[in-house]
Parts: sequence; C-alpha cells; structure tokens
Amino acid sequence: MDEEYDAIVLGTGLKECILSGMLSVSGKKVLHVDRNKYYGGESASITPLEELFTRYGAPAPDQSYGRGRDWNVDLIPKFLMANGSLVKLLIHTGVTKYLEFKCVEGSYVYKQGKISKVPVDQKEALASDLMGMFEKRRFRNFLVYVQDLQEDDPKTWKDLDPNVCTMQQVYDKFGLDKNTQDFTGHALALYRDDDYLNQNALQTIRRIKLYSDSLARYGKSPYLYPMYGLGELPQGFARLSAIYGGTYMLDKPIDEIVYENGKAVGVRSGSEIAKCKQVYCDPSYVPEKVKKTGQVIRCICLLDHTIPNTRDALSTQIIIPQKQVNRKSDIYVSLVSYTHQVAAKGWFVGMVSTTVETENPEAEIKPGLELLGPIRQKFVTVSDYYEPIDEGKESQVFISKSYDATTHFETTCLDVLDIFRRGTGTDFDFSAVKQNLGDEDQ
Amino acid sequence: MANRGGAAQRPNSQTQGKICQFKLVLLGESAVGKSSLVLRFVKGQFHEYQESTIGAAFLTQTVCLEDTTVKFEIWDTAGQERYHSLAPMYYRGAQAAIIVYDITNMDSFGRAKVWVKELQRQASPNIVIALAGNKADLANSRAVECDEAQAYADENGLLFMETSAKTAKNVNEIFLAIAKKLPKNEQVSGAGSANQGRRLVESDSSAKTAGNCCK
Ligand SMILES: Cc1cc2nc3c(=O)[nH]c(=O)nc-3n(C[C@H](O)[C@H](O)[C@H](O)COP(=O)(O)OP(=O)(O)OC[C@H]3O[C@@H](n4cnc5c(N)ncnc54)[C@H](O)[C@@H]3O)c2cc1C
Ligand SMILES: Nc1nc2c(ncn2[C@@H]2O[C@H](COP(=O)(O)OP(=O)(O)OP(=O)(O)O)[C@@H](O)[C@H]2O)c(=O)[nH]1
Ligand SMILES: [Mg+2]
Repeated sequence: MDEEYDAIVLGTGLKECILSGMLSVSGKKVLHVDRNKYYGGESASITPLEELFTRYGAPAPDQSYGRGRDWNVDLIPKFLMANGSLVKLLIHTGVTKYLEFKCVEGSYVYKQGKISKVPVDQKEALASDLMGMFEKRRFRNFLVYVQDLQEDDPKTWKDLDPNVCTMQQVYDKFGLDKNTQDFTGHALALYRDDDYLNQNALQTIRRIKLYSDSLARYGKSPYLYPMYGLGELPQGFARLSAIYGGTYMLDKPIDEIVYENGKAVGVRSGSEIAKCKQVYCDPSYVPEKVKKTGQVIRCICLLDHTIPNTRDALSTQIIIPQKQVNRKSDIYVSLVSYTHQVAAKGWFVGMVSTTVETENPEAEIKPGLELLGPIRQKFVTVSDYYEPIDEGKESQVFISKSYDATTHFETTCLDVLDIFRRGTGTDFDFSAVKQNLGDEDQ
Repeated sequence: MANRGGAAQRPNSQTQGKICQFKLVLLGESAVGKSSLVLRFVKGQFHEYQESTIGAAFLTQTVCLEDTTVKFEIWDTAGQERYHSLAPMYYRGAQAAIIVYDITNMDSFGRAKVWVKELQRQASPNIVIALAGNKADLANSRAVECDEAQAYADENGLLFMETSAKTAKNVNEIFLAIAKKLPKNEQVSGAGSANQGRRLVESDSSAKTAGNCCK
C-alpha cells in the first residue's frame, strides 16, 4: 500500500467503481480500497440469504427458502433504462461483456387504488383502462405530436414553441386531464415531483421520447435488470479498472485521509500510508464533509408469488404517482425473481421505496406494500441521504451523493459524470477504451 | 437453478457447426504464472518480467479436437487476486477453470486448495477444473511434491499437470485435456431456456440485438 497513486478511490459502490474504471482508462494510477470484504458497498447484492437475515437481526431463514446461496438480494433497488446513460456507459466501456441482462416484463402505474399497464404507444393507449374514450383520443394526439416533433423543425411544433412554452401549456393544448398528466409526467417522463409542469416543455418531450426509445429496444418495458443482481455492476466496472492497471484492496479499514494545507495527499490504514493527488469516495468515508439532505426508506420483501394484477410478470415496476396518495414524492415498487438468479426457485424479491416525508416512514410505504399481496419476510431500512458540502476543488476530495429513491440509474450516472468532470477538468473520453478493447474478441 | 454459472449462461456456446465456446478462468495466488500461462497458450510467448495484460477483457484461443472446435474465452484475474480482492463475478458463468500454483511455493498450493473449495461451493456444478503446478522448470527448488498434488487432484476430481509457461511444458496439453473433458452437447439442453440473460449491444437498430442473444 505504501506507494504513490494519482487517485485513491474509497468504497466499491457502483459510483466509485465507475469512477475508478474511468480514471484507470484515462491513464491514471488508481488504488481502490473498501473496508468491507465484498464489492458493492451500499449498492451490493447480499448473498447467501442467511447473511441478509443476519444483517437485519432476523432469525435464520427456514428450509422453504431453498439454498441460501441461490439468493443475491440487492440492498438498493434500481433498474436500467434500456436506452439510458448507464447502458451507454456499459456499452462504451466494454463492461457489458461481463454481464447479462433481462428485460423487465411489465411497467405499471397506480391510479385510485388499482394498477394499470403504462401505455407507451398509440395501440396500448387505446386499450388502456387508465382513460375514458375521449381522453384516449386526446392522449393519442398528444403522443403523435411528441413522436413527430423535431426540435429543429418549427413546422412540427403545432404553433407551440417547445423551447419557450411550459409543459402545462402543452398538456392544456391537447386538453389532457389531471390523471393523464399524472401518469405522463411520472410514469413516462419519470419525474419525481411536479416542478416540471412549469418548466420548459422540451425536456419533458425528450424524456417521453427516450422512454419510448428505451422501450423500442427490447419490447416489454423500457427497463433492464442484470442476472445475479445489481451487485454485478460495480464488480464489472472494478474489473475494467483492474484491466487498466487499477489496484484493488478489499477488507482494508481506512483510518483517515491525510491532508497537507487543506489538500488531500494520502490515505492512512493502520501504519501504512498510500500517497495520492486526489481522493474519490462515498459519503461514509468522510462524515465531516457531507450534509444530510433527506432520508430514503426501502423495504425488501421476500415473496413466494408474483404481484397480483401484473399478469404474473416475473419482473415488474410500479410507480405510485405522488398525488394519487397525497404525497410530494412518488412511491416505487419493483419486483425481480428466481429467473434473474437472485432468489431460489419459485421466489421473488419485491422492493418498495420512497423519499421520507414524515416521522413515520413505514406508514408512508403502505400503499406500495399493499400491492404486493402476502409478504413472507420484510426488511426495512431508512437511510440518510448525503451530499458533499463542497465541490472538492480545494481539498481534492470528490464525494459522491448517496443513492436516491429513484428506481433507475440516471441520477447515478449524472453524479458520476459530474464528479469525473470536477476531478479531472475534462469529460470522459469513451474512445480511450474502445480502441484497446476492439481486438481481443475476434 | 441447476445452471447457475453453467453452460446455459452463455448464449453463444451452442454447438453450431461443431464450434463450442467456453468461458475459462484462471485462479491462483499472485505471481504463480497465470498470465504467463495464458500468454504462452494464446501467443506462444514468455516474458521473464510479465506485466498484467492491460486493456484486454479476455483472450480467445481455439483447440481442435477430432470432431469439434473448442473456442476458449480465457479470462485473467487482471491482478485483482493480488490482495485477495477478486470479484465473484469473475468466475460466475465459467465452464472451466485452471487453478494455478507455483511448485516452488507451498503457500500457493494452499491458496489453490482454497480456490477449489470456493469453486465447488459457488460455481456451476458441471465446471471442469484443472490444477496446474506451474514453474515446473524450477524443479530443483521444488516445495510441492508432484505426488501430493496428484493425490489431492484425484480426491477432488480435478485434472492435474505440472506445467511451465517458460519452457511450454504441458501448456497446450492442459488446455487440450480440458477441451476433451468439457461436455460438448449439454449446451443444447440449456440453450433457449427462459433462464438466460442477454448481452447488451450498440443500438444502431433495435432489431439487430436479436441475433446476438437468446430469444
Ligand atoms: C424512472 C426514471 C427513469 C429515467 N430514465 C432516464 C434515462 O434512461 N436516461 C436519462 O438520461 N434520464 C432518465 N431519467 C431522467 C433523469 O433522471 C434526469 O435526466 C435527471 O433527473 C436530471 O434531470 P435534468 O432535468 O437535470 O436533466 P435533463 O436535461 O432532463 O436530462 C439530462 C440528460 O438526460 C436525458 N434524458 C432525460 N430524460 C430521459 C429519459 N427518460 N430517458 C433517457 N434519457 C433521458 C436528456 O436527453 C439529457 O441528455 C429518468 C428519470 C426517472 C425518474
Ligand atoms: N521460471 C518460470 N517463471 C515463470 C513461469 N511462469 C511465470 N513465471 C514468472 O513468474 C512471474 C509471475 O508471472 P505472472 O504470469 O505475472 O503471474 P500471475 O499469476 O499472472 O500474477 P498476478 O497477475 O499478480 O496474479 C513472472 O516474472 C513470470 O516471468 C514458469 O513456468 N517458469
Ligand atoms: Mg497476472
């Protein structure tokens, strides 16, 4: 460990592993350390099942749960958008070669106590039970408008300049009612709150287009999920980093970051000091440099059946838009199963999560839990959401934000790309990795 | 769940025109010669000062048997083993493994045994495991007796050879022995089952992905 590195990365959560990979690919000498003996940190998948039960202080699982090591239970639930930024990162870095994915089977939205399939094209919209007949026609016109809209061709704008008008104005033009606005904004454009209504329409239109592009890639839903669980993702990026020369040390407690004149110059573990020019880490390694900005509640639910009313989908996402349950933020429900090698045969892992708004977070996720049917075992975590207090320019310590309540990785990627930019002063050059990887796999 | 990490994991390992593709991983203590064995097998080279192969996710090499061509996708640890920090993802889905130790280093033999246990616990039940006692050219500083290793291999149903990446002794032979032992038809049963995942590819056209992965 007593060596000098360009960068030391602390923690092997997904964000840190992506950063480590990008830094190594960019030619930096990287040391990557975790205090745990497994990869993934907060975003690990826990195996075997006994380990998960121990973690939450529950008595050991009985026989009915099958072999413990057939389970890989994610601590943080998320899906990948098929056309989203994480998929782009995976493809452009070649990390996708280490992983296999499955398309999530269903995408549902909650309305007045019931769930309905999210309509994504005109055909589905016409068949949907979310809207009445006339509303369907209006929604169809809206979708056609979104699909046909070209940002650089005013003829397709229908007299509304999307660069200037708000999304509310667009909804009003098509006469969409509040319910339709609700699932469009939350289940298609994937906003977590309603601020977008009074913002410029173009970004919402882009999001809806991207939702349908993601959907177009694999069909059943716009979401993907990796075999063996999300914990495979950090491991994949860690391997990328190692292939480009990164050094890995797990099970290594970190005692402190060493500073000189306010600038990080190394990391100490026991009597060893590794020198470096920069430190990249998650909030848990620098409690004095982060502030708590909120809380997220996540409930892992082990089920021996699929979610009712989802046509027995073996994987699914359900969004409960805030207004439907008088909240400020949406509740997310996700389900994966033994077909993803994350549970023993016949078992399912459901997850309900949301941003905490009250003193009683468990009560807040009730509408989500009620959708799941009988739950065999429940594990609840309320975690604080941390953000760095500064940009890291002076200290050269670049800190990632905690994982938020969203059910996808888009904010994760934005954070990573932003940290990389702050740390290196440049955007990541994907071509650095492409050329080298080209010739190995003929 | 029978196929955890098994043949069915690999969408492209079907018997088609009698070409079978398998994922093979190398495991073992740092500096026993894993990368050197791969380099010898794939490129016919040996370097006294071997550095990790930077930038390669895996290397491929084929072995021709009488009626089948076996294509190995060979994964190196990329040095992650150095501080015992290898990610389990590395050996997931592997159909074959070579566990390497250095015959001049008893500790490395102990570490090899740990790997055998780990694979028996975690990897596919059908995985073909070979034990390689490398650096056989250094027999005069031998610390691990050939008989002892052979006995251990027999007990655990492993292929066993003493190899030398330096002189090329038994390098092709050990890969060939693995190729012979690998089940060539079993993939057919696993392939196409709903239990498979897909690899992601560039999205120039959405239809294109179909050819690259299972349905
Ligand atoms: C469940 C969910 C899924 C999402 N999926 C994606 C996604 O796959 N990719 C993604 O980049 N963002 C996605 N987003 C949106 C992403 O989280 C926001 O871009 C982010 O919150 C920052 O918002 P912004 O308004 O600052 O950026 P914006 O200016 O809105 O967007 C930043 C970049 O992301 C792109 N983008 C925005 N929305 C989407 C979308 N729905 N699908 C694909 N690209 C989009 C934009 O084109 C732009 O390049 C998703 C959001 C949610 C809630
Ligand atoms: N004499 C001799 N030296 C060998 C042999 N194989 C490898 N070496 C040397 O042993 C050293 C380590 O070899 P590597 O191939 O890098 O070992 P490794 O197992 O890949 O090590 P890590 O990547 O650190 O896990 C190098 O200096 C090689 O030249 C061999 O068969 N005989
Ligand atoms: Mg090596």
